[in-house]
Amino acid sequence: MWKYLLEKEFKQFFRDPGLPRMALMFPVLMMLVFPFAVSMEIRNINLVVVDGSRSEESGRLIEKCTASGYFRLVSVCDSPDEAMRLMDDNKADAIITIDAGFSREVETGTGFPVGIKINTVNGTRGSIGSQYLSSCIRMYMQDRNPSPDAPASPAIDVADRYSFNANMDYKLFMIPALIVIGITMITAFLPALNIVSEKETGTIEQINVTPVSKSAFIICKMIPYWAIAFFVLTACLLIAWTVFGYVCRGRLLWLYLYTTLDIVVMAGLGLLISNYSSNAQQAMFVIWFFAVIFMLMSGIFTPIASMPEWAQTITYFNPMRYYADAMRSVYLKGSTPADIWYDAAGLLAIGAAMAGWAIASYRKSSD
Amino acid sequence: MNAIEINGIVKSYGNVRAVDGISLSVGEGEIFGLIGPDGAGKTTLFRIMTTLMLPDSGSGTVCGLDIVKDFARVRRIIGYMPGKFSLYQDLSVRENLDYFATLFGTTVRENYENIREIYSQIEPFEDRRAGKLSGGMKQKLALCCALVHHPSVLFLDEPTTGVDAVSRSDFWNMLSRIKASGVTVFVSTPYMDEAAQCDRLALIRDGVIIGTGTPDEIVSDFPYRLLSVGGDRMYPLLKELRKTDGVISCFAFGDSHHVAYDPAVTGRERILASLADAGFRGCSAVETAPSVEDCFMWLSGSGDN
Repeated sequence: MWKYLLEKEFKQFFRDPGLPRMALMFPVLMMLVFPFAVSMEIRNINLVVVDGSRSEESGRLIEKCTASGYFRLVSVCDSPDEAMRLMDDNKADAIITIDAGFSREVETGTGFPVGIKINTVNGTRGSIGSQYLSSCIRMYMQDRNPSPDAPASPAIDVADRYSFNANMDYKLFMIPALIVIGITMITAFLPALNIVSEKETGTIEQINVTPVSKSAFIICKMIPYWAIAFFVLTACLLIAWTVFGYVCRGRLLWLYLYTTLDIVVMAGLGLLISNYSSNAQQAMFVIWFFAVIFMLMSGIFTPIASMPEWAQTITYFNPMRYYADAMRSVYLKGSTPADIWYDAAGLLAIGAAMAGWAIASYRKSSD
Repeated sequence: MNAIEINGIVKSYGNVRAVDGISLSVGEGEIFGLIGPDGAGKTTLFRIMTTLMLPDSGSGTVCGLDIVKDFARVRRIIGYMPGKFSLYQDLSVRENLDYFATLFGTTVRENYENIREIYSQIEPFEDRRAGKLSGGMKQKLALCCALVHHPSVLFLDEPTTGVDAVSRSDFWNMLSRIKASGVTVFVSTPYMDEAAQCDRLALIRDGVIIGTGTPDEIVSDFPYRLLSVGGDRMYPLLKELRKTDGVISCFAFGDSHHVAYDPAVTGRERILASLADAGFRGCSAVETAPSVEDCFMWLSGSGDN
């Protein structure tokens, strides 16, 4: 009986025009496209220079900026108005204005007539851009006059070294997080939609008049998605290894263990959603609601530590917070469950609450 | 023992009493029709009897098994075909049938004889996906799936709704053959003209049974005489007839009006005369035998002013 129930689910899955292709494309897209797309690094800031000086000194300053790799020199204008027009047309993110007397004033050390204008329509891009630009200018100044009165005695050289992600590679940071998002989508939302669609077509009614227990039926509906989730996890890890050369620092077993825990939570959530929705449209809306909250409050894109206190409290109820933390810890740091026991505890607690609620509401909805 | 016993079943949705104290009994091996318009509570009663829903109060048995306490055993001995086609559209004809046979712990081969007659008609399309079948074939497949485990009682909720006239009469022929194999058939329909095909029927309206009996009994209980009146200006004619002395009820029936009148008070000639007085000349009036629909209209009181 179980065998046949499962066989039917797999048959339907592979017969679906979209699902099998999606299951294959998903890890590929997730690993090959998204790490670049979700990068928070700001690059290619369009820089416009108004060079009133046209001197060797001003040329060196401009070169300093463009050589940093963050800026792309769009144009060198003669008048500030022209530059402003470029910014209005959204062709310039930053304007650096160099006065006519620049060369002389820098030479004599009387001043530094340089102005910066930043387009802050996109706040992040603006603030990071202005930081980059001022640090470029600072570097230029340091190069020009290494302070003559610098202490000759042992200089303390402060050098940064990044642990766990030595090159500060944003892609490496995002790969475990993208796996988290993918697994959640597959294990919570697809089964929910599947169950709701059986409700919509009325087939679940037809099953309910058979001696098959509902729990067996539901579990058989979920198992294929669990199999797909592990397939996607494995595929993602393989792609990350073969394409980017990233390997998991910790034991792979722990990745799979935490994924299993997450699957339990998500199965409960999926069932819960399907209990409270009677058609796909309702289910889609609830899914969308949860998906957005889960992602934004998980620490995947923005660090939890920089959220306000009350928002941090909310994240404690977000299973994705624990799962994402666990995956990053194992993948980047090589943590073991002994180090991140709290992630397991969080997932288990939410899982128990979710499953209990789902089963209770399921009993009620089925009378 | 009766195949189905229903005692005072009540089910409300919020303030609406969908089923309001229904009691019925269906004998073994009969085709029992539950006849009433949309929204009368037929589907709700079916869902309760097939253990898909709990009644607010009242009780019911199927082959002596309580529909609440013994629901698991009830499910083994009933076949249910809901009004809406609810098989897997993405599975083939054969796969659907195999699937439902397996769910009941049996195989198609074991029960092939039960469904052979119906299944042989769709067998040539065995490998076609259920979603690609025509309406009539879908219905046959659904019936096969409901019969594949050889149930004692077959519940059919509006099986002929949305089916063409030829397929409908085909379907009723299939039902009488199913009945002949010893299966009790409990069927609902909004079509009054199908009533004559049932062994016994119950008329349902607003969650209440307003009459039961064989089709002949129901028709012979009609206490008045019936005229079929035709003419021009049908709507003013209808209003005029309802005002006429001795007319009990009058309602539109196809292209004429069916007028129930009390023979002790009036007659065909007098009704025609009073119509002529009111300016309706050249009306035709033919004495006609009451149908189940006439009885339904009279019993439900909707033909009154």
